[in-house]
Amino acid sequence: MTVHNLYLFDRNGVCLHYSEWNRKKQAGISKEEEFKLMYGMLFSIRSFVSKMSPVDMKDGFLSFQTSKYKLHYYETPSGLKVVMNTDLGVGNIQEILHQIYSYIYVEYVVKNPLCGLNESIQSELFRNKLDSFVRSLPFFSARAG
Amino acid sequence: MGFSFCNYRKMGCITKLENMGFRVGQGLIERFTKDTARFKDELDIMKFICKDFWTTVFKKQIDNLRTNHQGIYVLQDNKFRLLTQMSAGKQYLEHAPKYLAFTCGLIRGALSNLGIKSIVTAEVSTMPACKFQVMIQKM
Repeated sequence: MTVHNLYLFDRNGVCLHYSEWNRKKQAGISKEEEFKLMYGMLFSIRSFVSKMSPVDMKDGFLSFQTSKYKLHYYETPSGLKVVMNTDLGVGNIQEILHQIYSYIYVEYVVKNPLCGLNESIQSELFRNKLDSFVRSLPFFSARAG
Repeated sequence: MGFSFCNYRKMGCITKLENMGFRVGQGLIERFTKDTARFKDELDIMKFICKDFWTTVFKKQIDNLRTNHQGIYVLQDNKFRLLTQMSAGKQYLEHAPKYLAFTCGLIRGALSNLGIKSIVTAEVSTMPACKFQVMIQKM
């Protein structure tokens, strides 16, 4: 099992943070382009899912998977989106994405008055905490699965 | 290290913050000490500031208290509450003074209401650790 990469988007689609750990194939476009493409797709999926659903939904879009990877999606009421790509062996990780939001984003970005909101996150402390949190996840290591 | 101000305007806002801290410190010490016995000496007061006062305000004690026994005390907090979310190193160091001014005033105000006139300065070399230096003014 493994974690490939992670995106944080704000409610306006700005990519606040991107980090990658185990990504074997790059998109072949600039990172800015990639972020836009990713956000555009997520935005479309959200509206697609809400229109197509035959019943009222509580959570909406949670994840999708292809033959090779799984994309996990978590959105807060304030519009912050946490997107994590893992391999197929990983189950529901909404709780973990919520922890990234509440223990790391809120703690080291929202509570740091020197970090502007709605702009790319520069804080080294945030990056370090996020990196060690993801590395400590039970499904992080590639050999486990 | 310590405070270095690039312009007078910034100096003004630091002073304002310090003065606000002073007033809050005066108020707090009045409330915290209403059930406490009288203090023996200056060191006793400083210990109170490091333990009870700091715990009530910042939910932890001062980690290290040093003195030269001639009116200078150094209070060291290795994980100062207002800086822990900012950085764990040198990043944002230039912004630190703004976030310490209020606390310097807090200490000065507290001491002032216990009958000690002092000058309090703060110094940060690596966040979130910081040192407050208290110079007692002999009256």
